[in-house]
This record gives sequence, structure tokens and C-alpha cells, in this order.
Amino acid sequence: MKKHLLRGIGVVAILAAMTFGSVSLAGPADDTLNVAMAAEVLDLDYLYTTRREYIILAQLTDATLFTMNPETRGIDPGVALSHEFVDDLTIDVTLRDDVLFHDGTPLTAADVAYTFNWVVDEASESHAHGLISRWLERAEVLGEHSVRFHLRAVNPLIIRDMAQRIPLRKADTYHQGTEVDRDAMAINLIGAGPYRVVRFNPGVELVLERFDDYYGEAPAIRNVVVRNLPDMGTQQAELMTGGINMMFNVPLDVARSLDARPDIDHLSGPDLRVSFIVLDAGGLAVSGGPLTNLKVRQAMNHAVNRPEIAEFLMGGGAAQPIHTACHPVQFGCVQDVARYEYDPEKARALLAEAGYPNGFDLELWAYRERPVAEAVMADLEAIGIKINLRYVQLESLNQARANQDIAAYIGTWGSSGVADTALIARVHFSDTSDRHLSGDAEVVAWVLGAEETADQAVREELYRSAITRIAEQAYWVPLVSYSADYLVTSDLDFPLDDDGVPRLQNARWKQP
Amino acid sequence: MLKYVLQRGALALAVAFTVSLAAFLLLNIATDAAYAIAGEEADPDVIERIRVQYGLDRPLMVRYADWLGGVVRGDFGDSYYWRKPVASLVAERVGTTIKLALSALFVTIIIAIPLGALAALNRNTWVDRSALAVAVAAQAVPNFWLGLIMIILFAVMLPLFPVSGDSTWRHFVMPAFVLGASSVPAVMRLMRTGLIEVMESDYIRTARSKGYRGASLLMRHALRNALLPVVSVLAVQLGQKLGGSVTTENVFAISGLGRLALQSILGADIPTVQLLIFLFALVFVAMNLLADILNAALDPRIRIG
Repeated sequence: MKKHLLRGIGVVAILAAMTFGSVSLAGPADDTLNVAMAAEVLDLDYLYTTRREYIILAQLTDATLFTMNPETRGIDPGVALSHEFVDDLTIDVTLRDDVLFHDGTPLTAADVAYTFNWVVDEASESHAHGLISRWLERAEVLGEHSVRFHLRAVNPLIIRDMAQRIPLRKADTYHQGTEVDRDAMAINLIGAGPYRVVRFNPGVELVLERFDDYYGEAPAIRNVVVRNLPDMGTQQAELMTGGINMMFNVPLDVARSLDARPDIDHLSGPDLRVSFIVLDAGGLAVSGGPLTNLKVRQAMNHAVNRPEIAEFLMGGGAAQPIHTACHPVQFGCVQDVARYEYDPEKARALLAEAGYPNGFDLELWAYRERPVAEAVMADLEAIGIKINLRYVQLESLNQARANQDIAAYIGTWGSSGVADTALIARVHFSDTSDRHLSGDAEVVAWVLGAEETADQAVREELYRSAITRIAEQAYWVPLVSYSADYLVTSDLDFPLDDDGVPRLQNARWKQP
Repeated sequence: MLKYVLQRGALALAVAFTVSLAAFLLLNIATDAAYAIAGEEADPDVIERIRVQYGLDRPLMVRYADWLGGVVRGDFGDSYYWRKPVASLVAERVGTTIKLALSALFVTIIIAIPLGALAALNRNTWVDRSALAVAVAAQAVPNFWLGLIMIILFAVMLPLFPVSGDSTWRHFVMPAFVLGASSVPAVMRLMRTGLIEVMESDYIRTARSKGYRGASLLMRHALRNALLPVVSVLAVQLGQKLGGSVTTENVFAISGLGRLALQSILGADIPTVQLLIFLFALVFVAMNLLADILNAALDPRIRIG
């Protein structure tokens, strides 16, 4: 009887599953790559956004003058065929003649000049304005496929900025007669990238389709659907049921656990993001406080067990201990600097020498990777520093730091995937940044000086001076580099690049 | 009666404005919206430009007064994130939340009322104890956990329903159950207590002496009076569900007001948070008022005002 009942329930369940279970399956069957993003995608115009998700999406929808080559870490041609420095402050760029926008309009020099002139115009209020206006005076049309850039200053990152920060727009995109519409591309984006926007419901779903007239190499997968799924558990369930093919930024424990399934793969690659503790060496928050003492800062550097944090908390193989205020693969990030190996005894001795044999109280702020923050806290408490961990939202940390209320915080920085120390150094060591807590004017001069010359040898020397001083003076406690962890369905071939930027356009289905 | 309704309406507005002021102050003290809008790796000059562009450089009370002036004119401002009027943003999503709240209330009713009645009619038996155990368990289980367990059971192991989204009725089945289950204990216990009380009353004894038994006694005489307190609690529960589905909407990726609230709080989207809190407070007070009025309508012995 019981056996019959169970069998009956089983049959009903299968029938019900067949009836109701028309769950949309992602994958090769409909040539659709479904990916989940936890953070909401609200605006498709990368000129008005900065976050990581938008970098990923802009690569799908937009074309740029040049493109980054993640293997060589150099620059490849994009919409531009070539460029030439006429003199220190003038660059001529020759464009391809076969580039079309998603609405079929040919891309010309007028579009390129309009885009750059719009961004450099303060009225654009573009998020890229500050970056571009450091070096660009104006762009001028020389011919149908030739543009001249007049520079206001020498800058080593010009071509890189052109490659990574400025998606090209059609002329007059943001102007309707005399009216300015800065949101013109927020929803109904017309780019010139490998995918065009089919449908966009902000905060919910973005549907992209391969743009068959794309000038470059066509992506292998026809459709990409980006779904905003805020809950990691929901994302896992979608992945297990075939609702999505890919999860980003997967915590290590989740990744390892789901990797055991035959239909799911865990991919782990390097990432340019690093984590570190910024110390109030300049006494901005606490004048004359313990952190203004070099020996205290050195003690903190010796106290933290970076290798174990990298191996057990960050994991993935790609995460590594770091000893510099930059990612080791970034240009200018010299590695022959003072290193502070894990040595709690030495740390205690240094604290005692500094006049703190019983330690001191310290508020340590943090906003992500709580296990890492707690491990750091435990390591510092082991040498006698009594930590009050303030684990908060990033915005709260930013607010407190802007008010100079923070003596020490665990920061992270991804450098927007750019392998150049400039991307992390300027924002953390310029005199106008509230992130700069060292108060060291020489470091500021070196860091800013490295952005005022295009001579790479000179730049490297300037960064050498800055990075060496930061390490010697232990202004930071560098922690670890990140790994980029993904979960994908096992039918997906998704190559990972060294800069940690996921390039969905390179994904393809595995051959059965 | 009218005077009472007007008084309570004024009270509702006062509560809503007080709550909105508290939320405004707390949000502004705790976070810097300019940083949130700019993103984690924005340049300092971008952050400064945003601060000026959105008027965040003005004194706090000037900004609140500005917002209040807008509310009086029916203008709740523009969302920092969605860059559109907050009122239209809320209008787009309110339908989904109402749909979810009503579905959840339906789930509560169909579980809690029969369960409460069953417990009352089988007082101090294993049936009663089991029903109480279910109620205690439902109260103890957090929504997010129940949501994930349901997803594993009914979307992963047995693919009956979609994991997330809100485009079809099937998307609402699991979230409605999760949200509805959280109200089961309160309603079920009230139903049980009310029915026990009613079943011991004189008029039920009279009905029994007239020969009424079983279902007819329950349906014709006992249930109406036992339901009186339940109806008012259901109204309050509906108010909570309209404003309190944050967790459920996030777990199931439902684009309603709850998810909007969380997105706005995390993103320091102050105008959106302001309107949502204002709205939630109004709805909550309004539902309490509705409960009072319903009680009065169902029980002539109750007079309000």
C-alpha cells in the first residue's frame, strides 16, 4: 500500500513538473548566455557610470578607439586604425571606414570628435569628464576618417583612457537642438559594439543580441541576457536549474561547493583588485596617535598573516599575498621593497619598542570580505592591539573618512582593470584625496609627477621612489590580491583574462 | 465616526512625516549619497561634481525643507539612481507588491483559519498540539531561509516553479507562501482562541440545544463571531506585507516596493527611500484604521469615535 502511495506521489510529481516546469533553460539550445549580476544595472551609458558591472557591459555594447590586450597588457587598434603623435600636445588618429552604429549609421570622424568634445565639456557632467579633461583640450575633424586631438598636457595614459573610458557616440547624441539630454543613452543605447540592446528594464533585465555588422570579430554566442538577482542563494538555484549560465564574484565556499556538481564548473583567475589597510600615519584622525609611530605601523605589518588569508579566505589559487601599495603586475609596481613577513613575536617587540607594550585601542573600519576583516582583527589582537571592528556599508565608510574620523580602514581597489600603478596611486596618494592619510608630500609629488610625463622609464623611477617609501614607512598594510571566481554551466567555455575583467563577448559553447 | 476617521487620518500623516524626517536624518548622517551615486572607484572630482549636481552640498535642513515643499506640491523629487521621478518609479512597482501582498494574505487565510478552527475544535488533543507546533515553527523560521528552502525543494529538486522573477502567476506561488506563512501563527492563534471562547458561550449552547451540530454549528453560528478579531489582524498583516516584503522580494528577485526599498537604502537613494517610508507609514496606519472600522462594522457592540 505504502509502496503504491509513494509511486503515486512520484508520478504526480513528475507530471506536475512536466506541466508546470516550463522553466526557461539558458544555454546552447537557444544560443543565449544568461548571466546574473547582483548589483542593479540602471544605466547603459558608460559615460555616466563607473561601476564594475558597467565596464563589463560597455565592452559588449560599445566601441572605443583602441582596445586593451589583456595578454600583452598593451593597446590594440579598435575603431582607430592607427595614431601618431604630431608633437607632444597633438595626436592624429586615423579611423576605420567600415564601422557602423547599431542603427546602421556609419561612424565617422565627426562622431569621434563630438564624443570627446562632449565629455571634455563641463556641461556634459560625464563621469569621465575629470579624467579626460586632465589631458584633452579639444578634438578636431581633419577628414571623414581622421581626427586630431589637441592636448592640454602630456599624459602617459591618454591612449589607455581612449581605449577604456570613452565609448563612441553618434554626433549630437546628447543634443536635441538647444536642449541637452544627458540621459539620451541611458536606456535606448546606440553603440557600435559587438552586441546591440534589444530590451532593457533597469534593475531587472538587459537583453542583448549579436550585432551582425560589427566591424571586429563576431562573438560566438548570439544572445546575452543579464538578469539582476540580488541574492546569491537565488543565483545558485538559477544556475542549478539552468536559468542562468554564469555567476560573478562567487564566494569561495559557494564556488567550491557547487563545483562538485557535474553540470557546473568553478573558474578562477587573477584579478587586479587588491586589499590593504590604510593607516593614519599623518595623524589626521588622531593627532599624535599610535599610528603616527613608524614602529607601530611596522608591527601591524608583521602581525598580519597574509599567506593564510590569501590561501584560506580569498583562495582560488590566483589570490596572493602582496607587499606593495599596488598590484604586482601593474606597470611601476616595483617589488624589491621592504617586506614584512608574518612574525607576531617581532610585531610584539616592535610595539613594545614603540612604547605600547600592552597594545592600544584601535577602530578598524571595513566594508567587504568580512572574514578577511575578522582574520586581520584576530591577528592584530594577537599582538595586543584591541580592535573595535566597524564593519559598515561602503558609503558610511566614505562619509567617515571624508570627515577624517578614520584611523585605519581595510580598503580594496580594482584599478578598473588597468595594469598601471597610476590607477591606484593617484587616488590614494594625492593631496586632494581623503584616502591619502600618510601626509607625505614627497610621495604625492612622485605619484603626480609620474602622470606628467610620457617617458615610461622616468615614470617607473618615480613610482619606484613612491612605492619604496610607502613600504619603508609602512603607510599601508598591503594584504592580498584577489582572484576572480565564477561559476558557469559546464557547457560554457569562458576564457579568463589576467586583468580580471570578464569579457562575455569571448564566451562560446563547448562542442558536444 | 467621520470625526474619528479624520482624526486618525491626520495622525497617519503626522506619523508618516515624522518617520520620513527620522529616515532623512539617519540616511544623511550614515551615508554620503554622492559616493554611492559615483560608485566605488570614482575620482574625487566626479564625487564633488555629483554633490553639487544633486544639491547634496546644501545644509541638511534646507534639503529637507525643499523635499517637504515638493511633497506639498505633489512632487516627491527624482531618484538619484534611476534618474526619473520617484512617484513614477513607485507607481511602476506598486502593482507587483499589491499582487504579492494579496496572494500572501490569501495563503495566510487558507492555512491559518482552518488550522486555528481545527485546533480549537480539538482542544488539548494531538491535533491542537500539532497545529500549535506548526504555528511556532512558522514564527521561528526567517523568511529568507524559508524562501531558499522552497527554492531548493520546488524549483531545484522538483522543478515546479521558476526560481525568481515576477512575469507570470507561477512566479508568485513560492513568494506568496513564504510571505503568507509569516502571518500564519498570529492569525491561527487568534482564530483558535476566538473559536474556543465562542464555542463556550451561551448562544452556542442554545444552538446546540436546537440540534445544531458539527459543520452547520460552526459555519452558521460560531465562525462569524470568532472571525471578528481575525479580520482586524488580517488588515494589519496586509499593511505589513505591503511594506514589509523586502526580504521575500529580494530572495525571489521580484521588482516590487520591497526590493526597491532595499536597493534605495543600499544606494543612498534618499528621495526614493523618503517616499517609500512615507508610503509604508501611511499604509500601516491606514490598515490599522481599517481594522478598527471593520471591527465596528462586524460587531455592533463596538462603537468608535
